[in-house]
Amino acid sequence: MNRTPRLRIAADIGGTFTDVAAFDERRGTLHLGKTLTTPARLIDGILEGMRKAGVALEEAKLFLHGSTIAINTMLERTGAKTALVTTRGFRDIYEIGRINRPDSFNLRHRKHAPLVERDLRFEVGERMRADGTVHRALDLAEVEAIADELAARGIEAVAVLFLHAYRNPAHERAAKACLERRLPGVFVTISSDLSQEYREYERTSTAVANAYIGPRVDRYLGEIESEIARANFGGRFLVVQSTGGLYALAEARRDCVRMMESGPAAGVIGTQALCRALGIADAIAFDMGGTTAKAGVVRGGAALVTGSTMIGGYLTGLPLLTPMIDIHEVGTGGGSIATVSASGALRVGPQSAGAAPGPVCYGLGGSEPTVTDANLVLGRLDARHFLGGEMALDAKAAAAAIRRRIAAPLGLSATQAALGILRIAAAAMSHAVKGVTTDRGLDPGAFPVLVAYGGAGPLHASMVARELSMPRVVVPRAPGHFSAFGMLLADFRRDLVRSHFTTLEAVGLDTLAAWFAELEAPGQAALAAADLRARGVTVQRSLDMRYVGQEHAVTVELPATVFARGGKAAIKRAFDAAHEERYGRGSPGEPAEIVSIRSAVIGRMKHPTLERIARGGARPPDAARAGTRRAYFEAGGWAAAAVYRREALEAGNRIAGPALIEEHATTTVLQPGDRLVVEPFGSLDITIGRP
Amino acid sequence: MKTSRPPKRSLQRAAAASRRVALARRRRVDPVAVELVRNGLIAATEEMKSVLMRTSYNMIIYEALDFTVGLFDRDGATLSIGLGLPMFIRGMSDVVKAKLAHWGHAGIDPGDILLTNDSYTTGAHLNHLTFSIPVFHRGRIVAFSTCMAHWQDIGGILNGLTTDIWSEGLQIPLVKYHARGVLNTEMRDLILMNVRRPDRAAGDLEAQLSACRVGVRHMEEMIARHGIDTVLAAIDAIMDHSEAEARARVAAIPDGVYTAESFMDDDAIDLDVPVPIRVKVTVRGANMTVDLSGMSPQVKGFFNSGAGVACAQVAFKCLTGPRDSPINDGSFRPLTVIVPPGTVVSATHPAPMRVWMTYPMTVVDTIFKALAPAIPEQVIAGHHADLVIANINGIHPRDGRLWIYLGGLIGGGWGAKAGEDGVNVTVCMNDGDTHNGPSEQVENKFPLLVRHYRLRQDSGGAGEFRGGLGAECEVEALARVNYQTRVDRVNHPPWGLAGGASARGNRIGMRRKDGREELFGTGKVNMRLDAGEAYTLRSGGGGGFGDPKKRPRAAVLADLRLGYISPEAARRDYGVVPTARERAALHLDAVFAREAQVDGRG
Repeated sequence: MNRTPRLRIAADIGGTFTDVAAFDERRGTLHLGKTLTTPARLIDGILEGMRKAGVALEEAKLFLHGSTIAINTMLERTGAKTALVTTRGFRDIYEIGRINRPDSFNLRHRKHAPLVERDLRFEVGERMRADGTVHRALDLAEVEAIADELAARGIEAVAVLFLHAYRNPAHERAAKACLERRLPGVFVTISSDLSQEYREYERTSTAVANAYIGPRVDRYLGEIESEIARANFGGRFLVVQSTGGLYALAEARRDCVRMMESGPAAGVIGTQALCRALGIADAIAFDMGGTTAKAGVVRGGAALVTGSTMIGGYLTGLPLLTPMIDIHEVGTGGGSIATVSASGALRVGPQSAGAAPGPVCYGLGGSEPTVTDANLVLGRLDARHFLGGEMALDAKAAAAAIRRRIAAPLGLSATQAALGILRIAAAAMSHAVKGVTTDRGLDPGAFPVLVAYGGAGPLHASMVARELSMPRVVVPRAPGHFSAFGMLLADFRRDLVRSHFTTLEAVGLDTLAAWFAELEAPGQAALAAADLRARGVTVQRSLDMRYVGQEHAVTVELPATVFARGGKAAIKRAFDAAHEERYGRGSPGEPAEIVSIRSAVIGRMKHPTLERIARGGARPPDAARAGTRRAYFEAGGWAAAAVYRREALEAGNRIAGPALIEEHATTTVLQPGDRLVVEPFGSLDITIGRP
Repeated sequence: MKTSRPPKRSLQRAAAASRRVALARRRRVDPVAVELVRNGLIAATEEMKSVLMRTSYNMIIYEALDFTVGLFDRDGATLSIGLGLPMFIRGMSDVVKAKLAHWGHAGIDPGDILLTNDSYTTGAHLNHLTFSIPVFHRGRIVAFSTCMAHWQDIGGILNGLTTDIWSEGLQIPLVKYHARGVLNTEMRDLILMNVRRPDRAAGDLEAQLSACRVGVRHMEEMIARHGIDTVLAAIDAIMDHSEAEARARVAAIPDGVYTAESFMDDDAIDLDVPVPIRVKVTVRGANMTVDLSGMSPQVKGFFNSGAGVACAQVAFKCLTGPRDSPINDGSFRPLTVIVPPGTVVSATHPAPMRVWMTYPMTVVDTIFKALAPAIPEQVIAGHHADLVIANINGIHPRDGRLWIYLGGLIGGGWGAKAGEDGVNVTVCMNDGDTHNGPSEQVENKFPLLVRHYRLRQDSGGAGEFRGGLGAECEVEALARVNYQTRVDRVNHPPWGLAGGASARGNRIGMRRKDGREELFGTGKVNMRLDAGEAYTLRSGGGGGFGDPKKRPRAAVLADLRLGYISPEAARRDYGVVPTARERAALHLDAVFAREAQVDGRG
């Protein structure tokens, strides 16, 4: 009880597993715990994970938390009974959306389904003009009448969006004050508190999402707070945002949409930190689990961030205008099902066996062969040592299913069919990587390193890297806990954005500086309020710009020196260069305009230093050697692959493929020709063999 | 409309047998390689698309997606298309075939880049410049990589009505833009001299060539990786798969001859003369024939196109394999299209083509209408079938310069189907993944104020399944503007099916300063608005499906609760008058009161 707090503990609650990572600042050691998520009482999973990691909350000074609660509430539609209050003439914007029909030939296509139906979307008399001046004053009596109706109808949350509130939020703020006064206990959100970017549909969707998930997320975080207080936690409770940055509990309970993608973001932050430690500037983060594969980008040492996303996918998802790590996802994972169509076409996914019934080899009732079954049939997974031996796999059933469902209809052997499944899966996953690179004007060939994690990432990384002609794969320590680990390396962060439409020519540098100062004030205040004794504050400024007449804007990073020297000419040069990178050409002769200004206020925290593992020779110690296993590879067919226990490997050890490196939650596959060296922090650094 | 309906079991057996044959033939090629090549073709055209969208200069390409990229076999058959817009499903294959007919395989050399924008080859307006690069392997052409994109300007008269092809701009016959790797500089200069923004046009041109080169690179890499024989065999297998899937779907359609007729309002010149759209669909076994011989002859105004085959293919794909990917010619082997020259969808020189995309959408809907008696559970009632846009321009008071705004793209209602209501406010058939523009953006750029953009109550056709609602949008001019529209289907509204009612049609209007609205009887308007006046656009709904009297009371009450229909429509169309208890339980009193209040304010 009286020990000085010395731990920072991160808890990442995912759909299947709850991961705990803890760093002991005094000893410089890392402790990990993994347990099944406990949906009925999520705190139980956190406590069990900490028990497995051997750490106690009373010794912690920081508790960092990421959770799927926000996104699940939205996707499963289990949020609050919510209403929308908006400008007269615009209550249907949320239902109309952007009217596109991406599934163009499907006569049964559907649009996004709003979280608030039309009869709970209310219009009030008020109107701002585009320049922020009042066109029609807010009719407060109307807001009051709506509040009374909402009370009568048992509404739990209200979102407010008024047109051009990004330019002048006065009406939204007045409406909020009125609603909060008349509706005590109701969760009220205004769009301008979450996003000050133009685009009324996306902003409406963002405000509604926050209101819809707000009461549940607020309750959830409140419960965790009181539970950890009961466990004698006396430190600070911070929550991970979709940017991978941290924010204070009080902010998280109010701005809930900011934590929508906390888990995947933390993995990319972990990648960023690992790359810094290894001296790698540019890398792809590759995270493969049971149902999806996700890719993010680290460029020049920093994770790429985007300003908007679609929750629920492009076809029918709901947009959010909040900053988040730029992550591209494809529906290929260990549970992806392989099928042969009536006309004889072999496909892998997008259907997934998920955790239940799961792959055939789990023996939980699954009958359709999956990617995991193919790995088992090819000897890449060990039937006896899956999840550290906690779960025996049924190799016979997996082979039988592949033979019956895939091999026989196609006239292939079970081995050929299994390898085919893995090759097709690797091709599909390479598209996730292309999604975050080529679509953004980046050349995937310029990213020499694939950092692979997640339960299935290390199993497939060698094949995916080959597919992309990437020469190097790094598998971090504890790849199955990598998101929780990444949280330990996060900084406090507040992202701010505001639309200001002006030509670059028309705006003065001092005006621009004043806009930024005003924009950043709430970020600085949030940092001060969090009282973290940050080791310094970094402000990253950028501008969304376009050529006059264009529609799409490009985000241009502003170096700090622009205001001191360089001025507008330097801004224009930076924009021309950014445009050239993204769209193939810049036009130095054409005038440019500013659409929005962006800023990230970052409070740098003291980070754990990565732990070095014991140093050994080129030859792995005997304790790490676990014999050989027959495994099948595209080059060379069946071979005796050496098997290693990862936890016993030492820095400097070298291994040549074919080999299998096993650890609790995953297996790293080295194909023939691949060479591995264990680097000082324990990562597996793999050079991909040339075919 | 249906003329015969023999038992189909024997035909389905035949289709199954043909699938088995195809399956046996494909056994010779590795099925894993087939799937990798299939993924590779999709990835190739996706990257071509991405490169074009990123590097093109004009927003019609990167916002409105007015382009197509594709890979074609050595004879011009489609291997994979990256759309763009659905109606572009066909045009590029025809262009590649025209190029082959012109030069022959022997007349095309490595390093050639082949170009045309001839309207009677592309089937569309002159803005569609189409470039092709041949892919050679060991001295032999094995494929073509092709890119069509819409140039913002190709010369010709600005705005206004065109009545022949010369008034629409520069015509480029089949030419070699590069010959054996050497740029035809005279051709380049000639093109750039004939367009209004040569700098932008040059940018778009380079973007198209980049996209084509990406396609060539992907094909070459695929051949290097799998070998030419495997790639060609895999392509055969992919096409056979698509054919088999499509045939199985066609075989399930009862045999017969099915016809339908609909009308366009006019051709923008003879405003009182409707233009007939007539289709005849014959289904026999696993084959379908779409006969467009009965279509209106080509018209004087600019609504002509060469999109007849494309119309039939779009309808066919919707019915037989909407998600079969990549889009390839194997899918269309069961389809025959008869379209004699000289109709509005097979126009001949020198018919004007500038607004080519409007009529084909109604043709597609009419094919669904014809097939409704045969496959009522698969088709869809009529939709608003128009872009519903306005050309707005004026002098900006801020800087005294001309501004141009393609106003609207407000979306409209889609038809109901068996088992499902129509979708509210979505782009028309030909606009695919195109987005509308935020009102906040419009008001920042132009001297306009959007008064409302909302669902159009009662615009969906009544039915057991209700048609989707159209939109209504009212925009105030803050300074004087010119206002032009070319909207059709105002007087020939979207139809219902299986007893469902018609929707409301598209409607164009303006509101005076005194608050009175004038609604026009035509969709072709050209006028000036003063500051304080407003233009109003209303899009049609979708037709209803099935007898409205069969619509469950709860669904009608839900429509009332949501304000999709008015109390009057509930009573008139569905015979539903909510009881006092229902009104209270569903908060309908408040809804009614609010609706009345809003209506009162206009």
